[in-house]
Amino acid sequence: MTRGSLIWKNLTRSRLRFALTLFAIFIAFFLFGLIQSFDRALNAGADIAAANRLVVSNKINFTQPLPLSYVNRIKTIEGVDMVTHQNWMGSYYQEPRNFIFGFAVDPESFLAIYADDIALPPEQAKAFINDRRGMIAGANEARKYGWKLGDLIPISSNIWEQTDGSKTWELVLDGIFEISSVDTPANGIYLHYDYLNEARSFGKDSTGTIVIATQDPALNDEIANAIDTRFLNSPFATETRTEAAFNASFIEQLGNISLIIISVVGAALFTILIIVSNTMAMSVRERTGEIGVMKALGFPAKTVFALILSEALLLALIGGSLGMGAAWLMATVTAGVPGFPLRLVLYPDIWLMSLGVMIVLGLLTGLLPAWNAYRINIAAAFTRA
Amino acid sequence: MPVLLKQILSVSWIGLRSIPQRPWLSLATIFTIATVVTVLLAFLAMSEGFRQTLTGGGSESVVLVMRGNAEAELNSVLIRDQVALLNSAPGIAKKDGAPLVSPELYVVVDGKKRSNEAKVNLPLRGMNSEGIALRENVTLTQGRMFAPGRNELVVGESLLREFQGFDLGNIVRFGASDWKVVGIFSAAGSVFESELWSDLAGVQSQFNRGSTVQSVRMRLTEPSAIEDLRAYIANDPRLNVDVVTEKAYFAKQAEGTSDIILMLGWPLAIAMALGALAGALNTIYTSVATRSREIATLRAIGFSSTSAFFGTLTESLLLSLLGGLLGSILALLFFDGISTSTLGSSFTQVVFRFDLSARLLLNGAVFALVIGFLGGLTPAFRAARIPVASAFSDR
Repeated sequence: MTRGSLIWKNLTRSRLRFALTLFAIFIAFFLFGLIQSFDRALNAGADIAAANRLVVSNKINFTQPLPLSYVNRIKTIEGVDMVTHQNWMGSYYQEPRNFIFGFAVDPESFLAIYADDIALPPEQAKAFINDRRGMIAGANEARKYGWKLGDLIPISSNIWEQTDGSKTWELVLDGIFEISSVDTPANGIYLHYDYLNEARSFGKDSTGTIVIATQDPALNDEIANAIDTRFLNSPFATETRTEAAFNASFIEQLGNISLIIISVVGAALFTILIIVSNTMAMSVRERTGEIGVMKALGFPAKTVFALILSEALLLALIGGSLGMGAAWLMATVTAGVPGFPLRLVLYPDIWLMSLGVMIVLGLLTGLLPAWNAYRINIAAAFTRA
Repeated sequence: MPVLLKQILSVSWIGLRSIPQRPWLSLATIFTIATVVTVLLAFLAMSEGFRQTLTGGGSESVVLVMRGNAEAELNSVLIRDQVALLNSAPGIAKKDGAPLVSPELYVVVDGKKRSNEAKVNLPLRGMNSEGIALRENVTLTQGRMFAPGRNELVVGESLLREFQGFDLGNIVRFGASDWKVVGIFSAAGSVFESELWSDLAGVQSQFNRGSTVQSVRMRLTEPSAIEDLRAYIANDPRLNVDVVTEKAYFAKQAEGTSDIILMLGWPLAIAMALGALAGALNTIYTSVATRSREIATLRAIGFSSTSAFFGTLTESLLLSLLGGLLGSILALLFFDGISTSTLGSSFTQVVFRFDLSARLLLNGAVFALVIGFLGGLTPAFRAARIPVASAFSDR
């Protein structure tokens, strides 16, 4: 009998107990994998942000408007490469619960500044730029609502109404885009700012945020300062932040999500730590006699120690891998659900982290029983058995 | 007492007294169930606290008028003519001869959390004295009310608790204008306490809103008067607006967030409970295995298999009940009443306290007992099936 099969035999001597313990570990790592990828997906906005992009918003708050004229004034600031701007639509399709992230943009500069992030076939981009009443939609959105290229789609806004009082904007779907990075689902719609601005009943010539690309990320601070100083004493003072900081601020608003995540993962791991360490201790206690026999047969105490520790490690690794596998499966399934708001991905470092936790779990649950087995002398083992 | 009941009780009692023989295993079960119950209760208390804070502020006899389909005050715009039309609407209560109508502006300003300095959205509401008269339970706890025509703020107690820089006497800068905090108010813990209030005209001018407002609040003579009001609005094409009672408005605002919290909390708790269930099953199976001889002996001297079944189930239920109790105590100690804030449907921070009511504690206890019941069921069947002969065999 090899060492490996000895460990396996010991581990599975009570099938039921093995299965139950394995299941508890499985659940904990399933949660671990899913919650970690959930956390990552929530923060994806900060990850995709380009290092050379800055976001200019109203200093009071980003929901306050900025004058459209700022776009041209910012263009003249030294070190600014490209400028575009976006105006929040508050859009939905047919019913308010079908809420869509929608922005009115200047198509040409918008597509230029996000060229690396938004994957849109060139002919569709051209059609969108040339079609005043056109829009582009994320592939996820198009799939969810069954939109086809060329469709005339009524988009409602809970903010903007046309001068005739209508709140529905008829838009032609000129393009369907994907997001180049893996961790962001292609959601949202974009339409022509000019179309919105001309027809809306109020808020004319104002916009929401202005996005700029700098010539060099090293210039970011300098440029941000230059912009904010220029508008400091106007009725519309600005605040310029990196795109990463701007995106992260949305998630921060939800609350201390990372604290909640750490607590829940911690609680889940704590419970299995209790369950597994007890099971391991019990299972080794029951075998005291056998351990005595092994030692009497000449197995060195070190070997006995290693056998039991390996057993605990193996248990943690099998249960943990199964759990992570299930989390991966779940993430893959949700990626195929149209309209699922987050793209869950189990990044290599999440796997690596889980491996670390499995090893720590194995060590914590195996060390004490292994040490007890190491120490016990043959005579005592036989009496206790 | 029927014989069977007597038997069940004595077998249960024997089983329970043997628990100290498996101290670690039993404690582990209690602890794991306690952890699961604590996590569940934390989420339930969060959801409940958020809901209570929003629904607690809504009145049945106050209506909120916003532009059609605006959904939230932030999205709405009403012009002066529309406000004037609403002023002469039927069914509106009067105070000193003037209708209780409050045109209000709801703008979002930046604030910083005390806890982690995160920059967040806070609501600044501009209104006249009618607005304050419309809100019940509002009392100034420090300072005085804002004066018309000056950039003065009164600050809700909840907002003051969670966000920095709004203490009495402070000067706060919004964009290019300075505002002075002249008072602190409480509003029975409702969502209004998460707001900054100031004079309508001042907010209109400092935020370039001209004479527009975002919502109009009105007190009805009685709740049923809303029908007259709706008819009046439907008959005037200039009033392209929605009317909801404040109560319905807040209930809808509460829904989204408190549902999301529950949608995260329950699956998490159930998944963790499955892990705890595996632990409980382990414990009870071990208990049955170590006592199999004892159980067989009881059977041999005339106890029924039913009593063996219930005796085992009792052990599991007791452990889970203790776990549920411990979990409830932990949740009460660590979560009940803690103050926090999150982004509400109005796109601003809503400050609320975790609220662990008796109803929620009952939920936790039932949850623990379900784990205990499922964890004891199959081992109990095994106990009931232990052959009598095994009492006399050697092993």
